[in-house]
Amino acid sequence: MLILERIGKTYPNGVHALGGVSLDVELGEIVAVIGGSGCGKSTLLRAIAGLDPASEGAVLLDGERIVAPHAKIGIIFQEPRLLPWLKVADNVGFGLGDRPSAERAARVAAALKRVGLAEKANVWPRELSGGQAQRVAIARALVPRPEVLLLDEPFSALDAFTRSDLQDHLLDLWTDAKPTLILVTHDVDEAIVLADRVMVMCPRPGRIFDEIGVDLPRPRDRQSAAFDFVKRRVLAALDRSMQRVPTGAEAEPRAEAGAALWW
Amino acid sequence: MALSDRIDFAHATMSAVGMTIVVEGSPTRERATRSRWARLTRPALGLVLPVTLAVGWEIIVRMGWASGRLAPPPSVVFATFVDLARTGDLQRNTLVTLARVAAGFGIGVTAATIVGAAAGYSPLVRRLLDPSLQALRAIPSIAWVPLFILWLGIFEASKVTLIAVGVFFPVYLGLMGAIQSVDRKLVEVGRAFRLSDVAMVQRILLPAVLPAYVISLRSGLGLGWMFVVAAELMGASEGLGYLLIDGQQLGKPAEIVAAIVAFGIVGKATDWLIVLVAAPFLRWEDVVRSE
Repeated sequence: MLILERIGKTYPNGVHALGGVSLDVELGEIVAVIGGSGCGKSTLLRAIAGLDPASEGAVLLDGERIVAPHAKIGIIFQEPRLLPWLKVADNVGFGLGDRPSAERAARVAAALKRVGLAEKANVWPRELSGGQAQRVAIARALVPRPEVLLLDEPFSALDAFTRSDLQDHLLDLWTDAKPTLILVTHDVDEAIVLADRVMVMCPRPGRIFDEIGVDLPRPRDRQSAAFDFVKRRVLAALDRSMQRVPTGAEAEPRAEAGAALWW
Repeated sequence: MALSDRIDFAHATMSAVGMTIVVEGSPTRERATRSRWARLTRPALGLVLPVTLAVGWEIIVRMGWASGRLAPPPSVVFATFVDLARTGDLQRNTLVTLARVAAGFGIGVTAATIVGAAAGYSPLVRRLLDPSLQALRAIPSIAWVPLFILWLGIFEASKVTLIAVGVFFPVYLGLMGAIQSVDRKLVEVGRAFRLSDVAMVQRILLPAVLPAYVISLRSGLGLGWMFVVAAELMGASEGLGYLLIDGQQLGKPAEIVAAIVAFGIVGKATDWLIVLVAAPFLRWEDVVRSE
């Protein structure tokens, strides 16, 4: 179980990025964190990852305090961040450096097959499309079998079709070992398609403003009335979190293309 | 008449079929032939200008329009080159110069790699050393020669030290700059996977800095060749620089040009060696491959 206890973050320049975020996440749960720019979503994720530890409060994973990157926690960044000097298979096996080479090769091959890129094992990252590169990044993060996988706007740089494809694919991969997923996103649709809970954050300093449960069966139909209802709640919470009074038109579900990208 | 018409028609049809087959097969074949031809001729393009100049000068001297006494024609230079090679002078002097450059390059690169890596990796070392090294870099290295001769004598040590100083600065600057500009996001990937400091250097920093390091080695080597000439011109009893002085003092311009040509060949060959050794490690680079 992942527990965040009043996580706060103040940078050396005095910027108060996070102001006491508390959250309990069950193993296997998918939590989306959504909010406007500068509300501390990425800061929160980096604190959980141990990349940029919190200045106040504590991150506890199975009772263990996280102050540095941990074997049980994986992270996928906004960009694939593949190492350009390693072929795709070596990139996927990057986190398995301590394993015997036979085991490493088998796990890498299985992971690449699972993300549909078995035939790309021996190519350089420069030869991949954006979507393929992000699939490799997902495989790299999943290969060490983390208990918690953090995703920092992982699909925001991709086109709408690839994004939707990878969201489905991520859910498919999640069913293998059901790790805890914490997803930071700007995309309301993405949050509702993937998450069990959507946490809406508000800025200055960043804190959790609202929590919206998504009690819909998977796979979720983006066109359904129930999906639309949840989306309307999330959008309304986002508006309130930014201290904007929603007008009648804004409170309506935004059905036109691209409207789901909220920031 | 009708029969001949039919035959003509049949012939034309067959030709048309034949043409179609040729037309379908030809673009690829033509392209392949053209690219093979281009691969062969492209390097030769660089030879057009020097060969034209050499042949032109040869003709001018042969026709008696110039004496060629101070600027010998290619045939004389070639004859001198062959002559020097036959007596073994060329090989001996080239080897001596090569050994000096190798020693100076080795010392310079080793020192620059250690200091450059430390300064790139540690802000403390950088703040401590970099201002002094930058001040030293601003001094023309030739200015050190009198001091080196006083300290180390006129033999090998001062020459090798001068070359090492010449090699040091481009390699130091190149490596330090390369380490400082390693992509923070890739370093973060290493941190996320909990790499130790040693593993971080081996698996992230070294491959990331390698392209810039290879360029700095090539710059350093170029300067090494420049400085070996300076060192040998100041006093040497053997080496390609000695051939230059010997040619000047004995009024043998062909020997000077032959030594210059030897410098060019060996310098280019050593540079090519660095490129060749580094190439397998840099295949991943996403760069514009010029035609």
